[in-house]
Amino acid sequence: MIKLLQIELYKLFSSYRTGITFAIAIILMLIINLGLYSDGEEIFDFLLESLNENFFVEGNVINGYLIAYLSLSTLWVHIPILIIIVTTHIFSGEFEYGTIRILLSQPISRLALLIAKITSAILYILIFMLLTAIFALIPAVFLFGKSDVVIFIDGIQFIQEATFLLRYFKAILFATLSMIAFSSMAMFFAIWFKNTLTAILISLGILILFTLLQTFVLGMFSSLQPFLFTYHIAKWQLFFVHDIPVKSILNSVYFLSAMSLFFMGISYLKFYKMNITE
Amino acid sequence: MDIIRVENLSLKYGKQHIFNSISFSFEKGKMIGLIGPNGAGKSSIIKILAGLVKPECGELYINELRQNSFSELRRYCGYLIDAPSFYPYLSAKQNLKLISKLGKGATNLDELLYKVGLIDVGNKKVKHFSTGMKQRLAIALALLRSPDILILDEPFNGLDPNGFQEVVELLKKLNQKGVTIIISSHLLNDLEQFSDAFLLLHKGKIALNLTKNNLMGNKRKVVLTFENTPNERACEYIKEMSGFFENSSKVVLHLRFNEIADVVNNFVKLNQTPINIETLTVLQEKFMEITI
Repeated sequence: MIKLLQIELYKLFSSYRTGITFAIAIILMLIINLGLYSDGEEIFDFLLESLNENFFVEGNVINGYLIAYLSLSTLWVHIPILIIIVTTHIFSGEFEYGTIRILLSQPISRLALLIAKITSAILYILIFMLLTAIFALIPAVFLFGKSDVVIFIDGIQFIQEATFLLRYFKAILFATLSMIAFSSMAMFFAIWFKNTLTAILISLGILILFTLLQTFVLGMFSSLQPFLFTYHIAKWQLFFVHDIPVKSILNSVYFLSAMSLFFMGISYLKFYKMNITE
Repeated sequence: MDIIRVENLSLKYGKQHIFNSISFSFEKGKMIGLIGPNGAGKSSIIKILAGLVKPECGELYINELRQNSFSELRRYCGYLIDAPSFYPYLSAKQNLKLISKLGKGATNLDELLYKVGLIDVGNKKVKHFSTGMKQRLAIALALLRSPDILILDEPFNGLDPNGFQEVVELLKKLNQKGVTIIISSHLLNDLEQFSDAFLLLHKGKIALNLTKNNLMGNKRKVVLTFENTPNERACEYIKEMSGFFENSSKVVLHLRFNEIADVVNNFVKLNQTPINIETLTVLQEKFMEITI
């Protein structure tokens, strides 16, 4: 099992796709930071306009912590896309290259192979999210400094400088779980269709559809919200509410974990019964 | 002794029966040709033996011991299945190294690459390989961990004449060392020369199960072409051999494999040297007889 995992990780990190997604995440974070540093005054004035109307603001409101939070908020739609490009390919790539025939004709069980592949996907997601978090935070702190944070989520939230980092990494951990859940669904489609592009298109289609349904908070759609994974994915922001709503976050953790396990389970059933005829 | 015995094997894709309750066996240490027209089920049998396709039912015996599933065979076999496929972004050696870790037993990868003639390009990425090079690499992959049984689906595809000869020699050597080799191929002529036994599949059934000795005992059609109409003495000889004229200069005879050379020599002695000799192998004849 360990050998299988080593092999999967070796393949994963030897592939240029993996390197490209890491590079894109890092470059995007650097561009956002540098862009805000050089031309961000107008944006910040706009952002602070309503705050200045009602409050007397003293100190460094535009600081590295806020920028790190804003960077992640800006990219939270793009990150899943980058991630599933790699995680779907972990499965469908084997079908596209035809290497699934080599793997499955070796003396290994299909369950062990599936577990090794899912574990490597989870490790990739974890590394990707950590890299993104670090490259959103460190340049921002370096360029803008540190201070207390004022964030607009369900009203104005004041976050003390001392508590920000813990909240930030808890949010990243939660976001990692979200990405695992979303990737589990995408990986199931990758096994089903044996094609990376199809799996990505269907997964993104569902992501867009659910995001739209989530936006319509009125009528029949509002009752659907707790069943939409996009509703739960968005809960990472709740870590930046002054009094963190633990119950609500835990509900989402349960939902996303169940979703991950469900898709991993049906992926196994599909993969176990699958005839490799091509 | 049979190294592999399969009984009552049935396979269905959707509602279509690929084969229904067939039984066959492969003798230990032999080279066996698995033949049949396209769609006869050769590749399906190989995929079942590789654990890639799950049959509807069937029993597998390895060295006369009944196994729980066809996947058990993977511990003893090296496979080449369909078109060779590899991780294109890895080198030939990296591909072999990766797969070698999936089973027990060490293999000297350089020696293996040397055996299949790829030692000079072992560090080249597979995406830059030609079809023939990939085929050689696929053979190397099948030889990983020195298996007792080799199951090869169309192993000569894409090989140039030199490559073909090298692979045949390699397979013969392995066979001499006791490796059982099962080859599916459409090259009946060549297969007849180096295989010990033949299994012909047709319409989901075992249509023929022959050893080479059985095959060699059979007469084959030999067509001799002469420059002109054969002389009187030659005509008498043709009559004696129960031959007949296809046209004035073309004669059809039915001869055993070891008789062909003698008959040609006799025509030479009668001052009637054939300018062309065409012969279908018995395997080709049987194949056409059964499948057309």
